[in-house]
Amino acid sequence: MKTEIIKNANQVIAKFSGRLDTAAAVQTAEDVQPLQEVSNSEIILDCSDLEYISSSGLRIFLSIRKDAAAHGSKVIVSNINADIRQVFMMTGFISLFEIR
Amino acid sequence: MDLHSEMILEEYRQALPVLEDMEQKVLVALREMLDRNELIVTAIEGRVKTEKSLAGKLALKGGKYSSLRDITDIVGARIVTYYTDDVDRIASMAEQQFVIDWDNSVDKRRLHQLDSFGYNSLHYVCRLPGFDFPFELQLRTTLQHAWAAINHDTGYKSGIEIPKEYMRRMNRLAGMLEMADDEFSRIRTEINDYRRRVQKLVQNGKLDDVLLDGDTFRSYLQAKPLDALNRRIAAINQAEIQEAPLMGYLRVLKALKCNTLGDVSRLIKQYEEDAYLLARHQLGNTDLDIISSAVGLQNICVVCILSSGGGKIGLERLFDALNGHNSQNAALAEMTFAQAETLPFMR
Repeated sequence: MKTEIIKNANQVIAKFSGRLDTAAAVQTAEDVQPLQEVSNSEIILDCSDLEYISSSGLRIFLSIRKDAAAHGSKVIVSNINADIRQVFMMTGFISLFEIR
Repeated sequence: MDLHSEMILEEYRQALPVLEDMEQKVLVALREMLDRNELIVTAIEGRVKTEKSLAGKLALKGGKYSSLRDITDIVGARIVTYYTDDVDRIASMAEQQFVIDWDNSVDKRRLHQLDSFGYNSLHYVCRLPGFDFPFELQLRTTLQHAWAAINHDTGYKSGIEIPKEYMRRMNRLAGMLEMADDEFSRIRTEINDYRRRVQKLVQNGKLDDVLLDGDTFRSYLQAKPLDALNRRIAAINQAEIQEAPLMGYLRVLKALKCNTLGDVSRLIKQYEEDAYLLARHQLGNTDLDIISSAVGLQNICVVCILSSGGGKIGLERLFDALNGHNSQNAALAEMTFAQAETLPFMR
């Protein structure tokens, strides 16, 4: 599992690659910590290379969303594959995130 | 400027740091007072009179003051409210918070004759414990503030006395704004009354009498009508439930022909079992142990659309309404339809 943070002018992109499962969650939670300092920006969680997400991964996304809301930022989940889309649907997370 | 006024100006120069400290402490005290009472206002502002402004005042009526302490507006604070009722509420709070010098305080709103209109504000001269100087607290509504600011700009800036005709027109506007202020307050009172009536109807279960709109739906959700269903769904995988906003479903419920809260209540009752079955079918063979509190209502809407023949297009419209229109929604509809296809409500 790999997480890359790319900062642009009005946007911060967190690009996830691999399987975000329980084993990868601890490292990923550390990797996304720079997002906590982002304020008044759009945070894109780019999932184009994310193969799988578990409950632990959903909790990381949720925590990014909470921090972002507290700092006036907005989180967008982009390019999710069919399996992850299904997870978002089944858990009702599509009501928590803007999905593009 | 005479020697006496010069002495007051020198006193001002010496006291300036204390006055600036006092202004900051007054603003903090006012903000805390409003926060404690959960009152939201348009603006809280403060200033220490500038040396130039003080010199102007002394040039006009310097003999009236024996020392700087007699100048009641040397430090000023102003609270601008949304509503005229709030001016009186804040006045009452200030009476508790500060020592009021009633001899120098004036309610300009009450000074007008029955047939006159113009500057409207409440001015209290107050004392903050620990400081020898008074400060003036001005309370006015946003409309009164706008009138006073424009009147000041047009009336005083040029240094030329303006003709009576223009003053009459300004005062006419003051009368109109007074009516608007009263109307805003009346509207707020009536909206609050309406909300209370709706909450009572919701509490008493008379939901057919309540039209579905943003306010009524919010009141209805406060009664947690979907909690039982969400808890059942969470129990499938012993999941935790994350609170999610449900107001986005208002548009969906209206599209599903819910006109009253009674309609919403019946929709939930009619489809909650199938909504649970759909969740069990989806989540039962996963280890997902976190759900959002939107999942119950989401599944109810899915089941309602599918069991009334809405098909994939109906689902895509649902996701468009919830997510905004985007290319992912068709795939989401396709997938949801495929998952639900074998369930009893599809027969």
